[in-house]
Parts: sequence; structure tokens; C-alpha cells
Amino acid sequence: MSPAVHRVPLPPGSEPTVDVGAEVSADAVLAVRRTAQHPVAIPAAARLRRRASDVAGHATVDPGARVAAGDVLARAGRREVRSPVTGIFLGGSRIDGTLLVAPLGEEEPIVGHVAGRVRSVDRHGISVEVPGALLTGIAGSGEAVHGELVLAVHEPAEELRAAAIDVAKAGRIVVGGSRASAETLTRARAMGVAGIVLGGVLDKELRDFESIQRRRRELGGMTGAFSLILLEGFGKVGFDPSLFDWFRRQAGRMASLVGADRLLYVHDADPPPERHPLPMVGDRAIAHRRPFQGQSGTVVAMLDGLHAAPSGIPARTALVRFDDGHLAPVPLANLEAVSEPA
Amino acid sequence: MTGATPEGVGIPIADASLLVDVGSAWTKAALVARIRGRWRIAAQASVPTAWGDRAMLDALAATLEEAVDRRLADSLRMLLSRLPRIACGTPSRPGRLVLAAVSRDVSGAAARRAAEAAGWLVVQEVTVDDGRSLLERLAALQRAGADAWLLAGGFDDAVSEQALELASLVAAARHGEPEAGPVLWAGSERMGDAVAALIGPELVVVPNPRATEQGGDAEPLRRHLEDLLQMLVEPGGVRRLAPIAFRRGIAEVARLTGLRTAGVDIGAQYATWVRSEADGTATGRIYAAGGTGSPLLTVSGVASRIARGLDLAIDELAVADALQNQRARPAALPQTKDELAVAQGAARLRLEQIAADEGGLGGLDLVIGTGRVIAAAPTPWQAAGLLLDGLRPLGVTQLAVDAAGALAPLGSLPDDEIAEGLASVIGDALVPLGTAVVCRGVRAGAVAMRVRIRRAGWGEQRLEVRAGQLVVEPLPRGSHADVEIELGNGVSLGGPRRTTRVTSQVSGGSVGIVLDARDVPLGLPRRLDDRRAVLAAWRDALAEERSGSWELAG
Repeated sequence: MSPAVHRVPLPPGSEPTVDVGAEVSADAVLAVRRTAQHPVAIPAAARLRRRASDVAGHATVDPGARVAAGDVLARAGRREVRSPVTGIFLGGSRIDGTLLVAPLGEEEPIVGHVAGRVRSVDRHGISVEVPGALLTGIAGSGEAVHGELVLAVHEPAEELRAAAIDVAKAGRIVVGGSRASAETLTRARAMGVAGIVLGGVLDKELRDFESIQRRRRELGGMTGAFSLILLEGFGKVGFDPSLFDWFRRQAGRMASLVGADRLLYVHDADPPPERHPLPMVGDRAIAHRRPFQGQSGTVVAMLDGLHAAPSGIPARTALVRFDDGHLAPVPLANLEAVSEPA
Repeated sequence: MTGATPEGVGIPIADASLLVDVGSAWTKAALVARIRGRWRIAAQASVPTAWGDRAMLDALAATLEEAVDRRLADSLRMLLSRLPRIACGTPSRPGRLVLAAVSRDVSGAAARRAAEAAGWLVVQEVTVDDGRSLLERLAALQRAGADAWLLAGGFDDAVSEQALELASLVAAARHGEPEAGPVLWAGSERMGDAVAALIGPELVVVPNPRATEQGGDAEPLRRHLEDLLQMLVEPGGVRRLAPIAFRRGIAEVARLTGLRTAGVDIGAQYATWVRSEADGTATGRIYAAGGTGSPLLTVSGVASRIARGLDLAIDELAVADALQNQRARPAALPQTKDELAVAQGAARLRLEQIAADEGGLGGLDLVIGTGRVIAAAPTPWQAAGLLLDGLRPLGVTQLAVDAAGALAPLGSLPDDEIAEGLASVIGDALVPLGTAVVCRGVRAGAVAMRVRIRRAGWGEQRLEVRAGQLVVEPLPRGSHADVEIELGNGVSLGGPRRTTRVTSQVSGGSVGIVLDARDVPLGLPRRLDDRRAVLAAWRDALAEERSGSWELAG
């Protein structure tokens, strides 16, 4: 199996600390960066004995250039203005005749959160080959995290309850079920859980959780990163049983979760069940829209021509025998075939 | 397959082409063939783009099976696959633009309008009056990740110190890296050199869209941005980009029909609005994140706004989940009535925003809707309802849909072929819904319009339409009627002041003549239950006259 490739983006001003070919662990520092702080205004018009509107024209460095404390920022004849701090020169104000320098803060590490071999390094990002499986979600939030994969529900359609989150889950990536309340998510974060993998979640719960986090960030004191990924759909939506079984088999492996990019890597894992559009008769399939959202079954027939769904939209339609035994027509566009990897 | 007319084929396909519009979610295909000496749309089909070309050809072949010789049924797909194609598609990705302007409402608005009309997605906008600190602006510019940067500010005869400060900030955010993409200066002509000194040689000076205090011409900037988009993002050519091709198609429809025409295409990813004068002079906007699968529909507050505009009792939480699922899987179909209502509610909201951006719509002769949510609505009255409720086109306006999605592929034809291409199939491509008469300035309880409808052989019909009423009179496709409208006190169709009587010849369609005295914008009760009752009554009025089948060309 070819490894998945994860790209760690580097913000402007970052300096990579790894080389191509290096083996990196999930907590390895791949680059460092010093972010710009609140700009310092340096009065220059009086010092240069020039009008405020002329000051920018006497700058000796370009906007965006990095300057060290003591570097000359502007010069008019023998008169000079020097930078009092190390930082980024932002430019000169033609209104009040000041020069602006944004001081650089403390060096901050950029951790990749994936383990593997560095494939490429450039000024915009670092690519790491990750041996294992990659799952792409339909939504997610939060920064990159990594931790051991653990299951916190017993069935694919089971809801992740707050009671299932205990201190043993700290630092781990928890596979939940068909739904999690804002309270459960908040508790998970408070208990130090690194990330959560869900089949479904209500948009409202996710929104409430995010606003709680935002409020806590504003108040300060929030520690540790947290990430969340949604794999099946919004609402109360369970995992496809074969995917849930796969998660069961991977419990205990290291996983990396990048919620904002909707990516979940499971290191050294077997390939997960494959999904593809346009299922055929006999295929296992999962439905993606209500009223059958998240339910799996077997396609038993294709109806001839176009059939109107209850919404009135005519569509190519398949007859699906769902796992709970009932038979229903489902627009083919709402089905995805699920198969074991070749 | 020109010159290969198979013997016995019910549809002569010696002269035939496929019109294909590959959308981000759905691919629309139409077979255009010369039948008994006339070009016709012989078949149309649409499939999720992820299903691939083979499935699209299968779907098209399936619609033809009954019309062709049985001996050919098995080879239809192969025959279709060999036809020449006129194709366009949704951009592989939107061009990402950072906009830095002195003022949000003056230079920023003009530059944004030009950028959006050219198909750019403005990923970050920084203005001097945006209320952010310098550091916040710098951080915003640094994390934008853009293909190009657009700087605007200052009238042509002025020197704006604020614009120069902004240029410094942009230069700082770019860290002097030419790879950060080109920078365009669309501000005061006098400041070009000063800005170039800050940015460097990668600065390109382009026409100022707001050259004077009174206004300006954004068209040269739009053209420049369109060329830049082609160079940076779509080296295959922007003519084949569906939003650009749609604009060209609508402009050609206006030229061919001599009607002031507007077109709106609500796709999964993009929404495109075009307004063309009768001579084919078109303006418009491309909303790169304006489709029904747009993440903008999932931001806070949108779900409740859509829920309040529905005639069905669907709670806000379910609306929010449905919108998220639509964003996540835009090719999936609304299977339940509730999901369809949410999808149409989202489209209506987008149409309202387009109308608001245009400062209201009036003076149009023809409005054409396309995109699956409109053109593939289960019934024509739903399509008409979306266009009317969302756009509120003031006056007497024909409504039509581009059911086969043919306008965009035809609009991708070269300049010297587009007129001939469109003229040959316009009759089939546009499915008329009828004519709408929309008025504003109505007063509760009062008569808004007294209408006389005369049709040859049918005598005269007199109707009174009161404020808040929606009245539908059937008028089939291909039929015409003379309409005389006497306006109530203070009521207007957007014409000159004090006009109290308007006469017009109207044409029919799947819905008929819609007399709409619901005001502009729509007047709705505040109480949720009352609002739903009113919305349901309007829906019933539109749906009442016909069971709701599409009338395709005979």
C-alpha cells in the first residue's frame, strides 16, 4: 500500500528544521516561527527633519523586510532613524511621519502531528509520507493532534455520552458514534481528549461547542489542542457497520487528526472499507440523505427509467434492502457503494 | 459522427452534437440534432459528475431508446460518444484574490464587484475603515493564501496617503516574495509609480474602477481580471468556464430576441447573475461561493432565516443539518419534501441576495433561470415561485428556464459561432414558464391592479388583484394575450411616475400569467404561524391552476 502524504503548511516567516528523507515522529518539530506582535511606531519626521508625508520616501528598507534592533530604517543626509526592536518593517505613515516595525515574538514550534518520512520541504510547507490509512471526513474543526485511537461506543449507531469520557481517554483520539452533545464535547476537551471521530453530529451541538471554546479562548486559560472530525453526515447518523468494524480492529494504533482539513490518519493500519459512487445491484451501499441517512444495506434492484422521490424530483432509483430488513427505493445519487479493499 | 447517418434511426443524427456542462456536482448533457431540417434538442439528461462520462452517455442513450430503431439501441452509447461536443465546466478551483482598498463602500465595493464579475473569489478583504488594528490587518493578509492581490483606492486625480499605507502593509504581508502572486493596482492613476516603488516590479497598473467621485467604469478592470484568471488558474481558457460561458449565452439571447434579459444560474458551487441589454451589452456577477452547496449557507443565522421563509413547519435545527448535508454532498438529491423545501429556501435566499446586490430588479423583459435547483424543480410552478420570490422582478417580465442546461455550453462557442449556435436551438433550450406582473407600493386591503386579459377567440377576462394576492391565469406555451393593467393608488410597475395604466402583450408557458401584488420586497407577517399560512396560500395559488407538468417543446 502506498503511503498517504500529509502536507504541513508553513506560515510566512517559518524556518524548517527537518530535511528531506528524515524520519519524524508525530511530536517532532518540523519548523519554527516567530509571529509578528503589535507594531511599534517610531517617530521619524522630526528626527529626519522632514515633513511627515516625505518620511516613507526616506526608508532604507522595503516593507516586509526583517530588521534587527539597531538597523537603520530611514536616512536623510546624515540623520538616521534606527529600529529599537528586531521585527518586520511594515512601512512609513505619510500622515504622522512615523515608521512601523512589528516586533517578533518568541520562537514557536510547528509540530507535524504525523509520523513518517519527510518527502519534500519548501517555504510553503513540508510533505510527510505517512504509512497507514487516510480517511477524509465531511466536516471537522480544530488544529492537528495525535494520539492513540480508542473506541468509546459499542455500536455504530450508539450516541457518544458524556459518561463514556473519562480520564483514561486523555491524550487519545476517541471514536464516538452517531452523535455527541455539546456537553459531551466540552467534557472531552476538559478531560484532555486529543480528538473525537464521529459518524454524525447535530450542527447545533457543534456550533454550541465551538462558541463555548471561543468564549473560553477569549477568557484565557484554555490549554491543549482539540480536534474533531465527522465522517458520515449531520444529524444523528451512525457509522457504516463495516467502517465501525475497521475502527474496532485499529484500536490502540497511533492516529493523527487534522480537524480543520477533515483528515484522519491511522498509522500502520490496514486499508479501510472503500467507498465509490454509482453502486450496482448486489453492492453494499450507504444512504446519505434523509429519511435513510447513515443506513446501510444491499442494492437488490435498479428501477427502470426515472422515479419520483417523495420530494417530487425524478431520479434514477435503486431498491435497497437495508440491514434492518426493510426495502425502500432510494435515488441512486444518494447512495455510495461500500466494499472491502481489494 | 457527421456523415454517418445510420439507416433506420428515428432521429437523423448525421448532424448532431452534444452540449455538455460539467458542473462541480452534476453534469448536464443535451443532444442537439438536425431533425427534418431543423435543429432541435432531441434528448437531455443529467447525472452526478462523480459517476463519470460513461454514466452520462448511458443516461442520454436511455432517453433516446424509444425514439430510435431497436437494432441501434445497443450501440446508442457508442454512437453518442463519437459525437462532437460543445462543452464547458465549473472551474477546477476558484481564483483566490486578496482585496485591499481604502474604503469598503467606495473603492472596495467597485473593485470587489469587478473581481466577482470576472469569477474571482475574494478570500480576504482589508480596508482602512474595517475597524481592525494594523496588526490584525497584517495577520489577515498573511494567512489569506491568494493567487493574486488587488489594491484599490483614490480617485484618478488624487493622491491617497491611506492607499500608500495600505500598499506598504500588502508589501509587508507578502514578505517581498514574487511567488506570492501578482499585485494589481486599480487605484488613482497618479499613484501608480509610488505604489510600484513599495510593491516592486511585480505590480501591474490596471484601470481604476472608481476613477471619479461620481463613479467609474469597472468593465476594463473586469476584463483584465478575467485575463489574469485565465493565465493563473485556467490556462485552458475562460470561455469554457461555465460562469463566463453563461454570461456570453445570456448576452446572445438578449441580442437574438431583442429583449432586456437577465439570467441566473444557481449551481452547487457557483451562482452567476447576468443582466444584458437588448444589444447584448452584459454585466453581471459570479459568486464563486454562491451555490447551494456553499459553506456560506452554513454560517450562523442563515438556517433560521431560511426556516422563517418556509411554508412548512421545519425547525431551525433540521434546516441547519440539511444545509450542512447539502454542502457536504452537493450531488445528493433532496429525497423528502422537507429537504426539498430547505434546498429551495437556500436558493431563494441566494436570489434575494443577488437582487439586493443589484439594488432591486426592474426594467427586464425576460428572466431565465438555470441550475438544478431551479431548472430541475419538480414542477414549473416551483421554478416560477423561486424566481419570483427571490428576485422580485418589478414590471411585466417573461420567465423561462434553461431546462437542458444548454445556454452555458452554447455560450462557450467562439464569437463567430455563438449567434448561429444559439439561434438554432433557442426555441427548445428555453422552456417558458409564462409572464409575471410584479408591482410595488401596495396598500393592505386595497386593490393593487385591475387587469383585463384579451386572447384571440377567448373574449375578455377581468380580474382584480388586491394587495398581498397572487393570481395565476393559465396561458399555454406558444399563446399570447393582451393585458391592460390599471394600477391602484401609489402602485407602480417600475415605470415612470404617475403611470396608472399599462398595456402589454404577454406570452404563456407552463405556469401562465402570474399577477403578483405581494409588494417588493415581499410583505410577510411577523408572526411565524401567520407567515407560514400566507406562504402556503401563495404556494397553493401558484400550484392550483395546473397539476404541475413541464411543457416541453412539441
